[in-house]
Amino acid sequence: MNKLLLISTCIILTITSFAQKIKIISANDSVPFIQLNEVTVKGLIKNQDQQIKDFIIANKAATTEDILARFPEINMIRRGSYGTEPLIRTYNTGQVNVLIDGMRIHGACTDKMDPATIYVEPQNLQNIQVNTKHGTQSGSCIGGTIDLKLVEPDSETTNQLSGYISSGYQTAAKSFYETGMLNYTKKRWSIRTNISYRKASDYKSGGGITIPYSSYEKINYGISAKYLLNNQYSIKADILMDDGWNIGYPALPMDVGYAAARIAAISLIKEKSNTKWFGTEYKIYANSIYHLMDDTHRKNVAMHMDMPGHSKTFGGYMNTNLQLSSKQNIHFRADISSTDLMASMTMYQNNQSPMFMLTWPDNRSIQSGLSATYKNYIDSITTITLSTRIDQFINSLKTQAAKDQLSILQEPTETISKTLKNISVELSHYINPHLKGFVVASYAERMPTASELYGFYLFNAFDNFDYIGNTLLKKENALKADLGVVYTKPKLQLSFSVFASKVNNYILGIYDPTYSTMTIGAQGVKLYRNIPYAQMTGLEAGIISKLTNNVQLISTFKYNYGRDHYNNPLPLIAPFKNITSLKKQIKNWSFQFETETAAAQNRVSVDAKENTTNGFFIANTRSSYSGILYKKAYRIDVGVENIFDKAYKEHLDWGNINRPGRNIYIQISFAF
Amino acid sequence: MKRNLILSAFAVAFSIFLLTSCSKDTTTIPDPTIGYLKLASGYAAGSATKVEIFATDSAFTGYNKFYIALTDSITGAFIENAQITLTPTMTMPMMSHSAPKENPSSTNAVDKLFPCSVSFIMASMSGTWTLAVNVQNLVNNKTGTVTFTINVKDPSLAKMFSFVSLADNTTKFFVGFIPPTKPIVGINDFEFVVYKKQTMMMFPADSSLNVSFIPTMPTMGHSSPNNVNPVYIGNGHYKGKVNFTMTGLWRMSMTFNAGTTLSDSTHYFDFNF
Ligand SMILES: [Cu+2]
Ligand SMILES: [Cu+2]
Repeated sequence: MNKLLLISTCIILTITSFAQKIKIISANDSVPFIQLNEVTVKGLIKNQDQQIKDFIIANKAATTEDILARFPEINMIRRGSYGTEPLIRTYNTGQVNVLIDGMRIHGACTDKMDPATIYVEPQNLQNIQVNTKHGTQSGSCIGGTIDLKLVEPDSETTNQLSGYISSGYQTAAKSFYETGMLNYTKKRWSIRTNISYRKASDYKSGGGITIPYSSYEKINYGISAKYLLNNQYSIKADILMDDGWNIGYPALPMDVGYAAARIAAISLIKEKSNTKWFGTEYKIYANSIYHLMDDTHRKNVAMHMDMPGHSKTFGGYMNTNLQLSSKQNIHFRADISSTDLMASMTMYQNNQSPMFMLTWPDNRSIQSGLSATYKNYIDSITTITLSTRIDQFINSLKTQAAKDQLSILQEPTETISKTLKNISVELSHYINPHLKGFVVASYAERMPTASELYGFYLFNAFDNFDYIGNTLLKKENALKADLGVVYTKPKLQLSFSVFASKVNNYILGIYDPTYSTMTIGAQGVKLYRNIPYAQMTGLEAGIISKLTNNVQLISTFKYNYGRDHYNNPLPLIAPFKNITSLKKQIKNWSFQFETETAAAQNRVSVDAKENTTNGFFIANTRSSYSGILYKKAYRIDVGVENIFDKAYKEHLDWGNINRPGRNIYIQISFAF
Repeated sequence: MKRNLILSAFAVAFSIFLLTSCSKDTTTIPDPTIGYLKLASGYAAGSATKVEIFATDSAFTGYNKFYIALTDSITGAFIENAQITLTPTMTMPMMSHSAPKENPSSTNAVDKLFPCSVSFIMASMSGTWTLAVNVQNLVNNKTGTVTFTINVKDPSLAKMFSFVSLADNTTKFFVGFIPPTKPIVGINDFEFVVYKKQTMMMFPADSSLNVSFIPTMPTMGHSSPNNVNPVYIGNGHYKGKVNFTMTGLWRMSMTFNAGTTLSDSTHYFDFNF
């Protein structure tokens, strides 16, 4: 499936993302991937991949997470209308590497309200790369890598000053989405700045029921500047900022009062090269996230609490490629980063001191890694890719207070040092001119997360348990296999891929009845433990078919399955789902009819107190008109999502809270 | 030239400063009572000794740690060698009684002070507490006694309770909490003293009880893991470990057993930090 859908498979895409000037090495691997920026900026120009982009970015007001949710490899955990958490296949957050433009970034919320993807708007993005085959290239992980590539200022535009503005409204949450971009280029300089503002009220789910605490407000703004140093090198600076207020999480007992992310990076890029080394990029970066949870808007709160969290990361990396021969090349990456996390909770009651504790005792994780990916185009039909990575992690508690607190658990509080090794091998081969097959075998390791190591009574609203970390956790390791075929005919493309993995030392919360809960109303305490193993499998399939000259069908299928060593179902495994879109183009108009179908999930984890979820079927229509006004392009998008106003939820939605009901949207965009 | 002069003047000033600050260190005696509160002072008649009682807090119902400073009544020099005996007495309209106490364990002072304790078993409401301090000054070999009136108040959170053992329905125990001096969110010492009421005037230390406890936060209803039950460590003291998972008000609910027979399980200590 990922062959079809724009998803980065390996080195090729990484190279293309460096600079458009570098040619894709082999036509065989020219997998289309999403150029988000093109859709918004140059959305009026239709190209071959436009259909796939329109499928992925169905609603022009989509958030980054809405876009991710359309990828067949990605499942989203939903706790509110914003801040959904991307998972790859059956792999949880700790097993997946989420990067922003190659940078590591760690959310500042102990309750996972803020995956890194919440701090990036589609406006900021050049493309999204989901790498499931060689995901360990940019960081040791079990499940794969999602890299949100930031858009660069456009230096090739004919206008010195260009940009767009877009404004829209959606009825389900009475929400506004306003966004604008300005690009300026002169001589060696090019500068791009953008801003997006979103404000949503509590949304109405199917049947007109308002979901309380689902509103949010946020603003995202950034600037990036690029300067051509000489005909080889350019330097680029990116600043990205995101502020959110009163972001509601109906499935959690708390909301976000205020959250702020500050992301900055400076890169040195070697654009052109006449040596064997090419696509070289150096980057140093820093990001800081502040997250303040809030329950003052909630009714019947037993005890109000403040829960601030901080996350700070510094890092740098180097990417480069070496052309060994016309058929062989190696991609190298070296990276280092340091992440500081700290979160606390304070509750207030009369006649006693404020009740304070560290939920993430101040801790630091220093990571350094090296990866090399060798690619050999043996002949016109066979390619071998070998990717290896080694990572060193040093995790430590930063303060005596942090150590004092964790010593209660009678676990070591000394520095944890772990070396992680990863390797993956891919063989891809054209069985006949229309049928390409690939097979990937890999071994991957991952570091336990800060919550898994150091978490102190972190409440998990999903199973209603408090979770306690364990500094004795072993690293997880996985043996994985991927198998796939892509069948391509001029008007039809079929793809099918299947994966299977065995994750040893799988980290899971295990109930310990001797512990008493910290959170009022929680059912018990779970301690993170390595269980012997868990097994996962699943498949993705896709159809892209040109039915007539202007009618196109896209349909994606996915299915996932997971079980532990007792053969019990793993929690949070998405059931079968299909999205089908039929699109007709008539001159400047496009019409799209879309269905989303999910099977029920009855394989649920009893230990996680997971509920079964019913299947659902919803239908959407979308249409757009693109026109020219005074030589400037404009575009109007209008659509109805969940036409039949069905009350439905997906299996990974927490708290039995239904998704939005009928939603009519309009978005008007104007480019200059 | 001018610059040289200034430099050398500066160098001289600096070396004087160094010298004086060094010599200061050797001659100045740091006051050992800094940080303590003076509860009482008086002269032990006949011993030429001034007696001062210091504590971290004003006297309360419960285990009071006292630090006695003895000075020569003429020179004011600290006397670091003495035998001190405490006699607390409560005088009530109809009767009088004593209280448990710990005389200084040694005739040698610790950092110029004599640590000791008195466990006042009730407040000064219905009677008057006095503390007689008998000093046998081993420097001048004179002996004398001074008697102080001590105002004992009930603390806002009780630090002492008593119970009659269910095991024999006769023995009365007094249990005094010794709160951790520097409480942390983490592992803390949990210490208390147990005295048995033998007569109105005799409260010997007791080592006979098996103790277990559960710490909870009464306003939240949770406990904490991995606490260590106190065991007898001598002189009526029992010591274990209490784990505070957060700051705030904690309640240590106590269970005392005489052997395996339940003695009492209805009392607790509250601790707020
Ligand atoms: Cu949060
Ligand atoms: Cu508490």
